Amino acid sequence: MIQKRGRDLFSRWERNPIITRDNVPLQSNTVFNGTPVKIGDTYLLLLRVEGQQGYSFFCLARSDDGLNFTVDEKPCMLPAEEGPFAQWEENGLEDPRLTLIDDWFYIMYTAVSGCGHRIALARTRDFETFERIAMVSGPGNKDGVLFPEKINGYYARLDRPIGNGVGSIWISYSPDLINWGQSEIIISPRPRYWDASRVGASVPPIRTDSGWLEIYHGFKMTAAGPIYRIGTVMLDLDNPSKAIGRCLNPVLSPREEYERIGDVGNVVFASGAIVEDDGEVKLYYGAADTSICVASAHIDELIESCFESIDSSSEEFCRTNYPYRSN
Amino acid sequence: MFQIAQKTGQDVIQRYKYNPLISINDLPQGCSDIWNAGVVHFQGQYLLLLTVETLEGLGCIYLAHGTDGYKFCIEPEPFMTASRNEPFARYETFGIFDPRITKIDSTYYITYLAESEYGRRIGLARTNDFRWVDRMQFISEPDTKSACLFTRRFGDCYAMLERPSSGDSIWLSFSYDLIHWGSSTVVLTPRGGYWDSHRVGAAGPPIETELGWLLIYYGEKDTSSGPLIRLGAAILDKSDPSRVIGRSNIPILAPREKYERIGDVSNIVFSCGSLLDETGQIKLYYGASDSCICLGVTALDEIINICLDSQEQYQQ
Repeated sequence: MIQKRGRDLFSRWERNPIITRDNVPLQSNTVFNGTPVKIGDTYLLLLRVEGQQGYSFFCLARSDDGLNFTVDEKPCMLPAEEGPFAQWEENGLEDPRLTLIDDWFYIMYTAVSGCGHRIALARTRDFETFERIAMVSGPGNKDGVLFPEKINGYYARLDRPIGNGVGSIWISYSPDLINWGQSEIIISPRPRYWDASRVGASVPPIRTDSGWLEIYHGFKMTAAGPIYRIGTVMLDLDNPSKAIGRCLNPVLSPREEYERIGDVGNVVFASGAIVEDDGEVKLYYGAADTSICVASAHIDELIESCFESIDSSSEEFCRTNYPYRSN
Repeated sequence: MFQIAQKTGQDVIQRYKYNPLISINDLPQGCSDIWNAGVVHFQGQYLLLLTVETLEGLGCIYLAHGTDGYKFCIEPEPFMTASRNEPFARYETFGIFDPRITKIDSTYYITYLAESEYGRRIGLARTNDFRWVDRMQFISEPDTKSACLFTRRFGDCYAMLERPSSGDSIWLSFSYDLIHWGSSTVVLTPRGGYWDSHRVGAAGPPIETELGWLLIYYGEKDTSSGPLIRLGAAILDKSDPSRVIGRSNIPILAPREKYERIGDVSNIVFSCGSLLDETGQIKLYYGASDSCICLGVTALDEIINICLDSQEQYQQ
């Protein structure tokens, strides 16, 4: 059971972080940005491990309770060394996101090379063999997350291209997972807010009765660098190009030491979540690019957060310091 | 008969004596800039689609037509303006620019640059008669520009060159339906130490020749007083256009004349299209200093030779 801690909508597990480099049976620099799936009673977490050499690859961790994980001895996916993908992955694999569609676990990840960041797509059934499908974006794009079902006959994904110097969340559609188009912008950074400088997709969209819940990341640039926080946006069920609600306040911000201190301090960055039968959402996030943590909230609270009105964050709300979120 | 101005410098492209062909004074209602025209031979006429920046600052596209390729008459009404209808309007609020025309089967496709606060995207439109034009879709995410379609399919796939901002290189993508694109790969990158050291992009749809696809491209070198934009050429493999079989080590056209040096954005020669005729002559229509449209010509063989000779030097 996750104990409430802190004043964010998400409650941190009291024994965070759940995975650090000490738990990885390999020479590694850091481990962060893990994406989960739950198969029966088993939780799997696909981890981004940054090796001592400096580039990243993926390892798999397993758990019976979603909190205590054991990391496999060997990496499960390394940068391709030959074939058509090798030239795009020479500088590593980053930030995987898992989506289950029709018995296949699809992994959208960022492939890094001298040509920049691109989104790549692979899939697996057993987490032993991984089949690369295609490079699905041009350069300069990342944070691709695949919807868990087709929408109006098309596969759909969110991603984060840079337009006019600004990183925003866009959606694209595909008939075959290989060719993508019909792209539309969904949300941009908001001046004055915590997500004023950049926003990007984080968690593969979660279907709810109110729409597609997207848990995203946003940052605000400060004199000492960016502060990465986590927020929520609700997309229309039938037309997810349309945002129908968006949080005013972040649902998780760096506050604990393990979120403040690390290779890249002041970062909380989610890459996936598990919705339990009772409505608990377990959010897996990387902290300070140095460890993996878990936090929990109820799905209804997250839905509600997308429809917060300006009134609830009015002066009184701010002055009393998140009154209705405290214990 | 083509009248060559005195040859300036060592450019392969020879300028037309009466350059520029079209300048801002030719638009009766006035405008800030005219630049970067796509070109096509249509029903016995030469047609140019001109990028015009209105006095307000918005990009739009005008049609000019002529019978000999030298003299042009501009239609009084714009051919395309920024869309007022969604889903297009919000991506075109700063205007539309740099049209490139490609004929595939019997349809003329126009790839253009749409600009808005959300960035730069490639728009795709089509026409059969150059009277009615029909927007199809945006075919890229931001930020990318300088898109050109190939004039035929490869297997079942249409192909397009484009220049994503990230990396400033020329990329190739494929599509079954012109709407959904993928299988992107990089084709041409900037070359440190060369005239195209900072940025490259396609300067018009590739022209199919016996040897391969002739790609005229622009290359940019950043200087302390801003970019210097020149034109070069490359040959792409006929069946696998991601393979470069020749690339000019030297520009084929560089800003040297006053009208190329002086203008709203100086030191630019930039093209959106060329025509190859049956005698093997290439007519290159190019924008100069973002302020006028000019014409240059050369023999196809000369450009090809430069690409192939350079390749040998480059590989040595």
